[in-house]
Amino acid sequence: MDKMKSKASTDGSTKKEKKNKRKQSKDSQDDVKPISNEVSCEDNKNELVDEKNDSTKNDATAQKLSEKELRRLEWEKKLQSQKGDKEVTTISNTKTTQQQKQLSEKELRKLEWEKKLQEQKAGDTANSALSKAELKAKRREQQEAQRQAKLAAEKAKKPPSTTPTKDTAKEVSKVEKKTVPKKETKKIIDLHRVQLVQHLYAEMPQKQDSKLLVYNNIHPAFVKLGSQYLNKTILGSNARTLALMAALKRLIYDIQTPPKQELCRYLENVLQTCTNFLQNCRPFAVSMVNALRNFKLHSTQIDTNLIDSEKKARLQDIIDVYINDDIYKAGDAISLKVNEKISDGDVILIYGCSSLLKKILVDAHKDGKKFKVIVADCRPLLEGKEMLRRLVVAGIKCTYIFLNGASYVMNSVTKVLLGAHALLTNGYVMSRIGTAQIALVAKAYNKPVLVCCETYKFSERVQTDSFVYNEIGDPDLLSKTPGTEDPSPLSKWKENNKLTPLNLLYDVTPPDFVTAVVTEIAILPCTSVPVVLRINAIDTT
Amino acid sequence: MPDVENLLDIRRLISDIQHKKLVRSYDIALRTEELLEELISKGQWKSAKELMNLVKTRIQLVRENLPQEATAPNIMRHTLKVIREEYQSASKKKDEGQSLHELVTATPSNVLDYSDSLIDLRSSIVDHLTEYKVELESSSENIAAQALEHIHTNEIILTVGKSKTVEKFLKRAAKDRTFNVIVVEGAPLYDGHTMAASLAKSNIQTTVIADSAVFAMMSRVNKVIIGTHTVLANGGLRAASGIHAVALAAKHYSVPVMVLSHMYKFSPTYVGSPNHEAFNVCVSPAGVIPYATGPILKQIEVYNPVYDYVPPELVTLFISHQGGNSPSYVYRLLSELYHQDDYDL
Repeated sequence: MDKMKSKASTDGSTKKEKKNKRKQSKDSQDDVKPISNEVSCEDNKNELVDEKNDSTKNDATAQKLSEKELRRLEWEKKLQSQKGDKEVTTISNTKTTQQQKQLSEKELRKLEWEKKLQEQKAGDTANSALSKAELKAKRREQQEAQRQAKLAAEKAKKPPSTTPTKDTAKEVSKVEKKTVPKKETKKIIDLHRVQLVQHLYAEMPQKQDSKLLVYNNIHPAFVKLGSQYLNKTILGSNARTLALMAALKRLIYDIQTPPKQELCRYLENVLQTCTNFLQNCRPFAVSMVNALRNFKLHSTQIDTNLIDSEKKARLQDIIDVYINDDIYKAGDAISLKVNEKISDGDVILIYGCSSLLKKILVDAHKDGKKFKVIVADCRPLLEGKEMLRRLVVAGIKCTYIFLNGASYVMNSVTKVLLGAHALLTNGYVMSRIGTAQIALVAKAYNKPVLVCCETYKFSERVQTDSFVYNEIGDPDLLSKTPGTEDPSPLSKWKENNKLTPLNLLYDVTPPDFVTAVVTEIAILPCTSVPVVLRINAIDTT
Repeated sequence: MPDVENLLDIRRLISDIQHKKLVRSYDIALRTEELLEELISKGQWKSAKELMNLVKTRIQLVRENLPQEATAPNIMRHTLKVIREEYQSASKKKDEGQSLHELVTATPSNVLDYSDSLIDLRSSIVDHLTEYKVELESSSENIAAQALEHIHTNEIILTVGKSKTVEKFLKRAAKDRTFNVIVVEGAPLYDGHTMAASLAKSNIQTTVIADSAVFAMMSRVNKVIIGTHTVLANGGLRAASGIHAVALAAKHYSVPVMVLSHMYKFSPTYVGSPNHEAFNVCVSPAGVIPYATGPILKQIEVYNPVYDYVPPELVTLFISHQGGNSPSYVYRLLSELYHQDDYDL
């Protein structure tokens, strides 16, 4: 991996080659990952629940598991086949001789390259120089092929202007957009939309979304991240932010400034394309928006007279500092504060899965506090199972219930701890759907409700209902019933226009249900959000 | 012991309920009624007192075996009242009233002991019960007939899980009005799915949500219409688990909660606290977390409660076949349904 690094910085190579290098470094990264990534190793050790849930892990999810890699490849394949189906007329930039006639062989090409590179690596790990030469040769060959393909494309009455000019690499960030003919099925889908949340369906990414096919020149780290967001293998705002930051670091590491351009400016453009792509995979979490905003703000403050490698180091630094200060250290501080509030004999009710809550509870357990945790959970995501697994592995005594059993156990509960997706300026807590209900029941039983939330999740947005800004999950998840062989009566919902499953992802909890919000700054009432936002704004400027 | 033999009928009923052969309270009510009719017309009894004792032993048996079951004892309790009434009218004696004055002035000789054997008693009770059976059978129809008084055009109505009565009610309203129904799926039984599919088939715009989305959706809901397992004497409910949260959310958004209930669900029992052991029952956790989850199951506790207690202040209206009543009026309905002496059996 180090070898690749030095090469990447010295070699003024074209994009094609860069891509190969990315692949290579990714491959090698995959090899070393189990050692370098301590956190995930530790988590893997005591695997109890099915592998799948693994991916929801917050810690360094950005790092690749080979399983995820496989999934990404699958996804790419899917995209590829789809492209073939729909005959999207994306003109690819380069073509292998095999697949010259195909319009969307980009993904396949990637796979091919990966395969080849793996073979190379297997054959001789030290032949990087050789492979470099090989790659160059290959590149020339492909450029030749590309030129031919262009000509062919022109002949086939396809506008050549849409082909990004690869050689200059100036328009790397250019997005190629193609209008896909509207499908006839669209009208039927429209009928299956709940009136109240019509506006949310527009943002809802379809698993086979044609929108995603129009993006070119996305850094592979972002392509992968996009698919992980789309398939919800990375869940939770902390995990999503960490993954985004990791991808961003990767991008900074790989980026090559084109001549006569300034790195930070150029990076901004590239990043914009990448984030647009990600937005189409899944709308950004508030935490991600805040993290990106912080990064952009700081990147503009970098001295433009520095050389690229120094700038890159600074940019990486910005990210590292942010991750460390605003996420990890904030988590530590919150954990300390909550631990003061946990005493022996406590029965703590939590809902769903939160990396922060897990940390808090495990820390309290390590401190020797004797308490019980009740994990409430709800379909369709069933994140609580993952939480349960992590807590049991840590040796904490746990009880598991569904959300509808909350009233049954609430009497025995002494504290309710909740995670948050975002804290809104009007004091409302935006969190995983169901959180409001837990808080509501807790309020009815007069139990203290503590929301644990880092200040980087605070948002200037205001909202009083759960409809204006929300996300819609896959409705098919609702029509499946776990544990029974018989298909649910809902399974044929698409055939009945009157029947619509609605799978909202978030809800907002009114501040009157929340006793206090625990942040790294202090334990605050919900209504203090604007104050904190103002302090943070002053700090950063 | 002929007594034990006679109890076979009720034992069969109990076992059927325990084995989930009888699930719907309506089926249980009909079975109980038939059982009583059989007992009265063919049973070994000479006086009303003997008959009442036969019924009382059956009530006790049900209560011992199925502490949560309310329908069967309620039907039997009502039958006791029928027996008392018929006895009084046949013997032309009057029961001492409920007023304080009558209680104070009552002399022991006046007290009815129901021990006289009367010739017409058997047939008159059977007649009365047949009438009652007709009432039972038409009950859900009568409730559904009131649908238009409660649902207006373009309403959004939320319901939880599956209830035949609610289904009928909504379908009746849908004949004349258009409205939307949100069905909460009701994990871990997911009977909301069946309900939703059935409503959609009747051309009602139906949305299915998970239990977690109740609070989010409630802000847009006009009415909550639910069924219940039992109506308690204070006007509270013993309903499917999860309904407490639904009712709380409704209260938070000031959405009226309407409970459709047959008269036999009105129970003269008070609940001291919802955590009273006999109140709730936890069933197999398999519905919550499958056994296939693995070794983690050894280290955790799992609860799968069946019922929720909903306090009367969260209920707006009860709709029975006689019309709507507020929870504060339930005690009065009870005294019409059952005799004071039969409340605690």
